[in-house]
Amino acid sequence: MAGTRWYWPLVWAALAFRLLLVPFADNLNLGSRPEVATPLTSLRRLAEGYWLKQSSLSPYTGSMYHGSPLLLIILGPLTVKRIESQPAHLCCSLIFVLVDFFTAMLIRAIGEKLMLTNCNNLKLLKPSKLVESFGGVDAADIASLIYLWNPFTVVTCLGSCTSPIDNLMVVLAIYGACSRIVPLAAFGWVMATHFSLYPGILVIPVLLLLGYGPDAPPPKLFPQKHSNGDGSLVHVFSWGPILQFALWVVIWSCYVLLLSSISLKGFDGLYDMLKKTLGFILTVEDLSPNIGVLWYFFAEVFEFFRGFFLIVFHVNILFMVCPLAIRLMHRPCFLAFVYITISATLKSYPSVGDAALYLSLLGLFANELAEMKFSFFLFCGYIGVSLLSPVMHNLWIWRGTGNANFYFATGLAYACLQTVLVVESVSTMLNHDRKLKKELKKT
Amino acid sequence: MSKLQKVSSIYEFLLVSILKPKDQYHLLYPNHLWSALWILLHSFMPSKTSGVKFSLHREIARLIGKHMEDVGAEVYYHKFKYRNLQFHPLCFFSSIPRTAVPQNSSACTLNGVSPVGIIRAPRGDGKESIVLVTPYNSENIKLNEALSLGLAYSVFSLLSRVVWLAKDIVWLAADSRYGEYTSVASWLKDYHNPTFSSDSGKIGIEMCFEKTENHVEEQSSFDGAAYDDFKRAGTMSAALVVKVMDKERSERDRVDIYAEASNGQMPNLDLINIVHYLAVHRQGLHVRVGTFGFLLNSALLKHVGKTLQRLTRLAESLNLGWKLGVNSADFVEGTATLASSMYYQALGVPTGPHGAFRDFQIDAITMELSPRTSLTNDNGISSFLLRSGRLIEGVIRSVNNLLEKFHQSFFLYFLTAPNKFVSVGVYMIAFALLVAPLPIVAAALFSSTANARSLTTISNNKPTNSKPVTRSGSWNWLHSAKLVFLVHLWALIVSLLPYFVSQIPHTNSTTSMLSWSLSSLLILYLLTRLTKSYVEGYQWEVLKSVMIAAASIGLSLMSIINFSTAQVGSILLVPMCLMVRPLKQPIQVPIFPAALLKILNILLAVVAFPPASLAILKGCLRGFESINIGDFWEWSEFLWVWNSATYLFVALVHLPCWYLCVHILLHN
Repeated sequence: MAGTRWYWPLVWAALAFRLLLVPFADNLNLGSRPEVATPLTSLRRLAEGYWLKQSSLSPYTGSMYHGSPLLLIILGPLTVKRIESQPAHLCCSLIFVLVDFFTAMLIRAIGEKLMLTNCNNLKLLKPSKLVESFGGVDAADIASLIYLWNPFTVVTCLGSCTSPIDNLMVVLAIYGACSRIVPLAAFGWVMATHFSLYPGILVIPVLLLLGYGPDAPPPKLFPQKHSNGDGSLVHVFSWGPILQFALWVVIWSCYVLLLSSISLKGFDGLYDMLKKTLGFILTVEDLSPNIGVLWYFFAEVFEFFRGFFLIVFHVNILFMVCPLAIRLMHRPCFLAFVYITISATLKSYPSVGDAALYLSLLGLFANELAEMKFSFFLFCGYIGVSLLSPVMHNLWIWRGTGNANFYFATGLAYACLQTVLVVESVSTMLNHDRKLKKELKKT
Repeated sequence: MSKLQKVSSIYEFLLVSILKPKDQYHLLYPNHLWSALWILLHSFMPSKTSGVKFSLHREIARLIGKHMEDVGAEVYYHKFKYRNLQFHPLCFFSSIPRTAVPQNSSACTLNGVSPVGIIRAPRGDGKESIVLVTPYNSENIKLNEALSLGLAYSVFSLLSRVVWLAKDIVWLAADSRYGEYTSVASWLKDYHNPTFSSDSGKIGIEMCFEKTENHVEEQSSFDGAAYDDFKRAGTMSAALVVKVMDKERSERDRVDIYAEASNGQMPNLDLINIVHYLAVHRQGLHVRVGTFGFLLNSALLKHVGKTLQRLTRLAESLNLGWKLGVNSADFVEGTATLASSMYYQALGVPTGPHGAFRDFQIDAITMELSPRTSLTNDNGISSFLLRSGRLIEGVIRSVNNLLEKFHQSFFLYFLTAPNKFVSVGVYMIAFALLVAPLPIVAAALFSSTANARSLTTISNNKPTNSKPVTRSGSWNWLHSAKLVFLVHLWALIVSLLPYFVSQIPHTNSTTSMLSWSLSSLLILYLLTRLTKSYVEGYQWEVLKSVMIAAASIGLSLMSIINFSTAQVGSILLVPMCLMVRPLKQPIQVPIFPAALLKILNILLAVVAFPPASLAILKGCLRGFESINIGDFWEWSEFLWVWNSATYLFVALVHLPCWYLCVHILLHN
């Protein structure tokens, strides 16, 4: 495949491209774009929080910083460090380039694990079909290249926001679960949840991965084939890793909370931190425009309905967790992709960094989703919306000839596109399973 | 309005009271400032050494500042450095103005001084203001510029003693030695972006002034304290640029209104309406907006107008309830005005210094006042000045009473006459109908190829896996998308090339154009060679549908940024995109339509090539002997120095679409 031959040159080219653009990041002014930096992930806010902390104030004073205190310790000193009159965020940007590279490598490793299990499963099912169904593209390489070359990722990396780190933690959790490194999976999950709360629902795919192993065709196909009782060979839910995972989650959570409380010593402490980070996410306090749909809604809604609608919007995500988990139990990685996409659509402060993550995870299933409908429409839609959104924002904020509805319309279109993407990919995946079943029956 | 008339009579008194010769030059005109300027100019005229010339503009600025002080205004001098407009590829639409520090701050030869006066409103809170701008060329002041300064001074001194003022009045006498736009824009930039003394850029310019000042012996009014002073007067609610012109004579005193700002932005329609209403119904002035003269004499247009007139008469005779009332002459004039309005919006280049205001969301227009008599005719001029003064006063008073911001649809319109307009709600429908076929055809082509593919795979039952290209049915557009992406990448590089070409010293437009096109071709060749293995195995139908999708995204984006450009561009792009098909491909239609289609395709491919379309347009308007190779270079240079989005449209939407169309035409 051409993809394999060109893989490493393309990876280095992607990194070089980022490094080339890093000095111009300030001119591009990406850090102030609402599509790129949210109140949670903005590095400017982090610098402000660091400054507050340096002057012996709680970093959560006012309403500037809402991130983790751990990020403050790691990235804070870098925001003030200047190298020979270069822009202040240069160090951070270099770190983000590295983080992007790690994420891409982890995605590739996940893809290789998936392909290996896929190969084994197909061998178990029917060796002769192997060539045809598996003769597709190298999904692992494609997924990591999508991650590295996606304009959304590049913009996120240059846009001085902490989304790359969030993404790394999510990918780390999935990777740890795929390769059954329980402490790593627990660490990734705890950190991702600590940073942005929504990855918390990924606990289900992670548990399924630990229990059942990576994605496989539906379990009922196996007894069909190996009717002599061999079917139990593949799908046994193993409780050992689950208990280990629970233990490690407790350990890591305590550790993170301990570190946070040490770092916030002398200020209001942990309760204040939870209120200002998780509470800020859940109560949608910041109504500045972003590409999501919640800001507009909560700007319009009456104050006494606010609590009700907050519950409605957040339960919306939780509603979809169980049915999807039941239906896609045999494909935990795909389930993780679906969860990430849904939470990226419905979260309170979405950014293109989330889209960068789920679009590259989509690449992991390139072979299964080969028959996906509306792919061209979705592609055009993503391009159109990502170009239209800054123009509408400019029209509204700078030129004054548009209004909030113009910008919100693109946000709405974006949400619709994501919905179509989820619906189409899930139905294609289920169709793929059905097709597999049909082909097995035929022989 | 009676109050307004009373105030105006005070104003008249003011004019009359000073209507007498002031000095030995027998100046006849009613204004201290005007006459003083004239004297100054004449006394400096004979000696044209550089030192004296340098101090001349300083003298004028000080004189204006002194007059401003005399009426009780707060005065300061705004100094700016002339910076040549350059190609900034990253600065399109960046609403935050460039704060780049000039590289060579030692080159202090080019700078200007604009005196600014502020009247504090007795009934205001200093949070809002109205701006009056009078550009004048301080190096070579003309009679009409002196008159406009005098006119502004009269209005200013009147406003300094009125009681109804609720918004501060700022009078900027813009030093327009390096262009009217430059001085106004730099003043606005400094007004909205406070620079602190630690900023290196400001220090550079301060040092600049101090250095040059040492050459001037007398610098009493330009002492250090005045420099750091940049007085502000809150949000600007409107700005008027006033110019007295000495152009062709007409039978009545005339006001020309210019409203187009950068990228087709227009001021609030009410500002134009106020000026039109007060000028026509109160002062009896003739109001004009930009018109294409050659269209007024067009026989075709007249013919269409007459036909329309007949048709509407017929329709009205059929149903008396219909009041269509299309008049042939009105139609021709309206069309000519509409064409000019669209042209200037599509060009995306401001038509005057008012354009600088629109970048800061301030409504502004330029009023060019021209008297019916000569500027040296005493009686004619004094009545003209009186009317113009009343007009400006009336407009300022109207804006003064304005409280709120209007709905955004008041900003999106075309003018067909000074008091008629076409609103966004009307013209968007026409545009949507024009562009709607694009996505429909793209979807139709795409789904038809997808169907054909699935049919073949079903009939074959065992698809040949020799090529991975044909394997995945739903993703086969990826191969076409690669080509489209490559072409757009090429177009992006081409659009950035002028930055490097313009760095080459000692070139004229022809050599620049040649090097631009040659390097573009070279890059195209390299790109196609390098990626030959990547872009294979596409069908032309899919390629066409991807291209159409890209074009429709580009057009709809452009219609939001600058509607007129999208409208003009779509007239060429839409038929080209819809009709294109390979020339060698046989079609199942009779020979005549097939040949016609081929000829039209070739014709469009020639006409839609941007340099060719520019050459054809220029040839039609000015004769084909005036065409030059460098024309396109000059035109695009003009566009990018003004940060016009039209340049981006031509380079990033039109050019790749044209290339892909040619690619499809030559497809085997």
